[in-house]
Amino acid sequence: MAKIKKEKEYRVHLMVCAGTACVSNHSFEIKEALETEIKKQDLDNEVLIVTTGCNGFCERGPLLVVQPGNIFYQTLTTKDIPHLVEEHFLKGRPVEKLMYIPPEEKTPIPVLSDIDFFKKQVLIALRNRGLIDPEKIDEYIARDGYKAMAKALTSMSPSDIRSEIQKSGLRGRGGGGFPTGLKWEFVSNAVSSNGNVKYLVCNGDEGDPGAFMDRSILEADPHSVIEGMVIGAKAINATQGYAYVRNEYPLALNRLYKALDDAREYGLLGKNILGSGMDFDIKIVRGAGAFICGEETALLSSIEGRLGEPKPRPPYPAEKGLWGCPTLINNVETWANIAPIINRGAKWYSHIGTETSKGTKVFSLVGKINNTGLVEVPMGITLREIIYDIGGGIPGGREFKAVQTGGPSGGCIPKEKIDLPIDYESLSDAGSMMGSGGMVVMDEDTCMVDVARYFLSFTQDESCGKCTPCREGTKAMLDILTRITKGEGTDEDLTLLEELAVSIKDSALCGLGKTAPNPVLTTMKYFRSEYEAHIRDKKCPAHTCRDLNVYTIDEDICVNTGHGCDLCRRNCASDAILGERNQPHQIIQDKCTKCGVCYDVCKFGAVKVD
Amino acid sequence: MSSENFDPTLIGFLCTWCSYTGADLAGTARMTYSPNIRIIRVMCSGRVDPQFVIKAFKEGADGILISGCHPGDCHYKEGNYKALRRHRLLRKMLEQFGIEKERLRLEWVSAAEGAKFQNVCDEFTEQIKELGPLNIMKGDINEYREA
Amino acid sequence: MVNLKIDGKTIQVEDGITILQAAEQQEIKIPTLCYHPLMEPYAACRVCVVESISGKGSELVTSCNTLVKNGMEIQTASDKALFARRMNVEMLLAQAPAAVPVQELAKELGIEKTRFKIKDPDEKCILCGMCVRACEDIVGASAISFLQRGQHREVCTPFGEQSEACIGCTACAFFCPTGAITVEDLHGRKVIHSELDLGPSTAIRVPIRQAVPMVPFIDEEACIHFKTGECKICSDVCQKEAIDHEAQDEEIELEVGSIILASGFKSFDPSLIPAYGYGRLDNVITALEFERLVNASSPTGGKILLSNGEEPKSVGIIHCVGSRDENYNEYCSRVCCMYSLKFAHLLKEKTSADIYDFYIDMRCFGKGYEEFYHRLLHEGTKFIRGRVSEVSDMALSKEEEGKLIIRVEDTLIGVVRRIPVDMVILATGLEPGTDSNQIAKVFNISCSQDGFFLERHPKLAPVSTFSDGIFLAGTCQSPKDIPDTVAQAGAAACEALALADKGKFDLEPITAEIDEELCAGCQICVGLCPFTAITYDKEKGISEINDALCKGCGTCVSACPSGAAQQKHFRDKQIFAEIEGIFIE
Repeated sequence: MAKIKKEKEYRVHLMVCAGTACVSNHSFEIKEALETEIKKQDLDNEVLIVTTGCNGFCERGPLLVVQPGNIFYQTLTTKDIPHLVEEHFLKGRPVEKLMYIPPEEKTPIPVLSDIDFFKKQVLIALRNRGLIDPEKIDEYIARDGYKAMAKALTSMSPSDIRSEIQKSGLRGRGGGGFPTGLKWEFVSNAVSSNGNVKYLVCNGDEGDPGAFMDRSILEADPHSVIEGMVIGAKAINATQGYAYVRNEYPLALNRLYKALDDAREYGLLGKNILGSGMDFDIKIVRGAGAFICGEETALLSSIEGRLGEPKPRPPYPAEKGLWGCPTLINNVETWANIAPIINRGAKWYSHIGTETSKGTKVFSLVGKINNTGLVEVPMGITLREIIYDIGGGIPGGREFKAVQTGGPSGGCIPKEKIDLPIDYESLSDAGSMMGSGGMVVMDEDTCMVDVARYFLSFTQDESCGKCTPCREGTKAMLDILTRITKGEGTDEDLTLLEELAVSIKDSALCGLGKTAPNPVLTTMKYFRSEYEAHIRDKKCPAHTCRDLNVYTIDEDICVNTGHGCDLCRRNCASDAILGERNQPHQIIQDKCTKCGVCYDVCKFGAVKVD
Repeated sequence: MSSENFDPTLIGFLCTWCSYTGADLAGTARMTYSPNIRIIRVMCSGRVDPQFVIKAFKEGADGILISGCHPGDCHYKEGNYKALRRHRLLRKMLEQFGIEKERLRLEWVSAAEGAKFQNVCDEFTEQIKELGPLNIMKGDINEYREA
Repeated sequence: MVNLKIDGKTIQVEDGITILQAAEQQEIKIPTLCYHPLMEPYAACRVCVVESISGKGSELVTSCNTLVKNGMEIQTASDKALFARRMNVEMLLAQAPAAVPVQELAKELGIEKTRFKIKDPDEKCILCGMCVRACEDIVGASAISFLQRGQHREVCTPFGEQSEACIGCTACAFFCPTGAITVEDLHGRKVIHSELDLGPSTAIRVPIRQAVPMVPFIDEEACIHFKTGECKICSDVCQKEAIDHEAQDEEIELEVGSIILASGFKSFDPSLIPAYGYGRLDNVITALEFERLVNASSPTGGKILLSNGEEPKSVGIIHCVGSRDENYNEYCSRVCCMYSLKFAHLLKEKTSADIYDFYIDMRCFGKGYEEFYHRLLHEGTKFIRGRVSEVSDMALSKEEEGKLIIRVEDTLIGVVRRIPVDMVILATGLEPGTDSNQIAKVFNISCSQDGFFLERHPKLAPVSTFSDGIFLAGTCQSPKDIPDTVAQAGAAACEALALADKGKFDLEPITAEIDEELCAGCQICVGLCPFTAITYDKEKGISEINDALCKGCGTCVSACPSGAAQQKHFRDKQIFAEIEGIFIE
């Protein structure tokens, strides 16, 4: 095992966020600007720049955290850098205008842990976020990395490890919510059809649209996953591990490849790990662009090089998985939780969360929310707390309408249930599900029928096509929903939609099919009036379904306030607006294509939509 | 003696399995051929000892025919090959004695080849007629008779 | 054993079977579309769903792959199950409207029409995957699989190109329940490898319908197991476990006392006579082919038809094809005249054709044969005495158009005639079998000039050969018909039995022996003996002959320099005496 080199002592560490979102927001340019400035100011022996994984507050990127002191700078541009370097790092005066100021407020909050977005988060899976360079294994080790693995390999028996995980109450974070310790027990007890061979798999296929929890973990802290997998291998006596990561995550893959190499070099992976006599290594298998390969049996099929389609269960992978051998498959986030549980004990972990759902969950908070980003919260926190305390509420002062959890397999929870505590049972009781952690916030401008249509278009496109209900049924449901959003829906359509939803839910082969109707069912349950409006009134209350919008010009406002500015007519691509300067303008309904450009460009609010 | 009156005496050593049967076939098929040949049956052409040939010439044969199975068909596998070898060597030796090599003829006649036997006899007879009588022995033959 | 309830009935079944199988045992029918008893269940069509009720509620499970469990309560046609089943069938009706099993199932379930959009009214493929599973699991070729996903899912070869892995077994077409894959389709889609000959029959088949024994054989060339190592579906379904793919040819050594050769004959190949047009002209057939045509188990069912399927209106039978012919075989094949008469008679019975019989001589030598010939003379067959010179399709007049013209000299009236017929039957002669030379070599027997095996004596020993213990029977010795063959066979059997029955065997009396006094031990004789009958005795310093091995060829005798070796009855002395005897005046 290589010795950890003592790093040079620096006065200041600048933790620059290099998660994918910030990278696409030019965070590397920020880093280069910093490097240039630091050098210019002769500070390169005192100030160290560290690129870290996703910080979580993606809304405010590119961002940087100054340590010591936990000073948080956000929405940086390269132009800000010279001033920042000179003021804060040379002269010691933090720059207030680059700090975070909550909306509707004036005072900046310098310290990260004082910011609401971060305050209520409890970081377990994301424990190292923003604090280490994910490509430096030493930094991971310095923060208690691989300590749990050493403990598990040298002083715990497989059944000790399994019982610890069981006692912790950890449940699968990929969406199924199956008690992790119990699954480990099943795999451990299963008899292999091929000698003693058992496999261990990490499901990094994260297919839910807009979900990036697993990506962030892999990019920011790949070693946390590796450590968890080695502990798992000891627990079930697995000899070979596979990390299945979707190919659309190049940065995560690179970080993981490097992490595996580094771990092997340090003797933390491969043959005779830490001299314990245990052999275990991990191979990376890349996905090929199919959402269905996130389903465990389809994933295993893909690893075997076969067609990525699910197999009926039973038999479960725990009994017959890869190449017919017992296989333990867990999600990235689940693996990231293992080391802390072994390190700090199941008792500690089980004190966090609710009766049935222990620990924390990483959510990607997106949609109509002020603080878009990645959050890790203890189970039992309410939706209200997430949306308003952490999320900062709905932008533009608009009304919160619903929140969608669980991705395309989940459902919408209306504002009446905003005080719902988050855990597996309460979400599924409400008709939704925890899923992998997607959380899409919606406001009054979101059309729920369109939301259902959107998710169904995803499921329909990703359906593998093996079983009749999913292959044909999702298409049929999508056709109906599309027609409804176009104003061609009928009451019979609603009935058929419900019938289809029931029959698909009952008879589909795998999770994708079985949960595909969920968005439809929950939106119909809580927002039936919107469906009816589309069908009977041919109107979209949220004005999202363009085909149902009727644009009119309030002639009063147009001529009195706008003086017939003629901007709308000039921008109308269909020549549907009549009018002259200083005259009231009119929209010719027959020609109007409902593109909404006139509505967007009118500075005076003369264009009305209904 | 004149060739026109010369009626050669030919001796034929025929193997039982092929040549003798072939000659038999010529008989049963009523084929006519020159009567000059006198047949001595042996089991196999490989039985034909060079002494027989010398003896026959000594006793007055003008021509000797050794006939056996076709190569590869010998009832005793290889006897006819031995006959072939001996024939070649014997011919050389006979020439040294002053006996024309044409007087010792080796033929392969199979059990079905009655016609061939007929041809061979006729041809051989003509050939020996051309060559004339041998007359190699003068003197008392008893001196050379074996005990 | 497992206890469960199906449709209200409590039953007990063996462990490890599926709900579908348990229901079958109870004669409860659950519809399926993608299930096949010979393959692993695929559970894709979702038509076989049944409701499984437990304490926690109920769920739908597919009966084709779900194993029975103790305490299970199954409703095969509950409202919930039927609802899903109907919906799935209704969707399939829109996806593959032309698939007959789906139409039938829809009718059974009372679905009159589908509410869903029909994409292609001619689509038959229901994506059941049976073709893919057959190709992968049963045949082992893995040439086809599913391409794309969702609405675009289809069965194809990789990239839709001709697959090297396809072995043209057409198992995919065989298993397809809706006829979406047909063999012609396969050709059009270039799935079949172009070099393979498909043929109309399976690799395991009975050779002909009248085969004796009536047992199928496996054609190794066509069998998939021998190509890919997979399949073996024939032995899987054989209840008597009578099929063994691994069976090898065995070489068995038997020690026998006598052998009867009955290796048969070969038909003369008339393509050697180009003038008769065999192989070139349609409807010129050999006698054996006509026999096959007329047989009840023939492809025509015994009907005498031309190649275009019509009945001939005139037939010519040509005698002595390849027999009595200087250019081919000089001998007479003995049986042809009689079978030609038989054909003429059959033709008169089965058709209304004009029959012409072209002969040189009528050889009706047997019992009742001449009488049969007379019958035919009265039946109306036209007998023309003359050697047919050619069969041609070149018409010289209108009546000859489309016919086969037989050109013959009618020697009885001295006119060269042209006789147009629809069908020509060549009375081909008998020849020795193709391997008769090899057999003769193996058994060390002679062949006569015509190639048939040589009997020991044409009159007195027709079933023996020159080798003791080897006998002949049937047409391997010479052409003959059935009564003669049977007689000869009886005779050969008798001789063989007599040999065995004697209990004694006569040794050759003409073996060689070595005079110990005279033998010098030169060992010249030892190497010469083809039967290794001579051994050298080191102690005595002489060579010795084994009487049992010695065959009496005399080669050693003529080689012995000292005259120690002599052949009994063929001693040197004796032969010398013979020679002397010739010249005694």
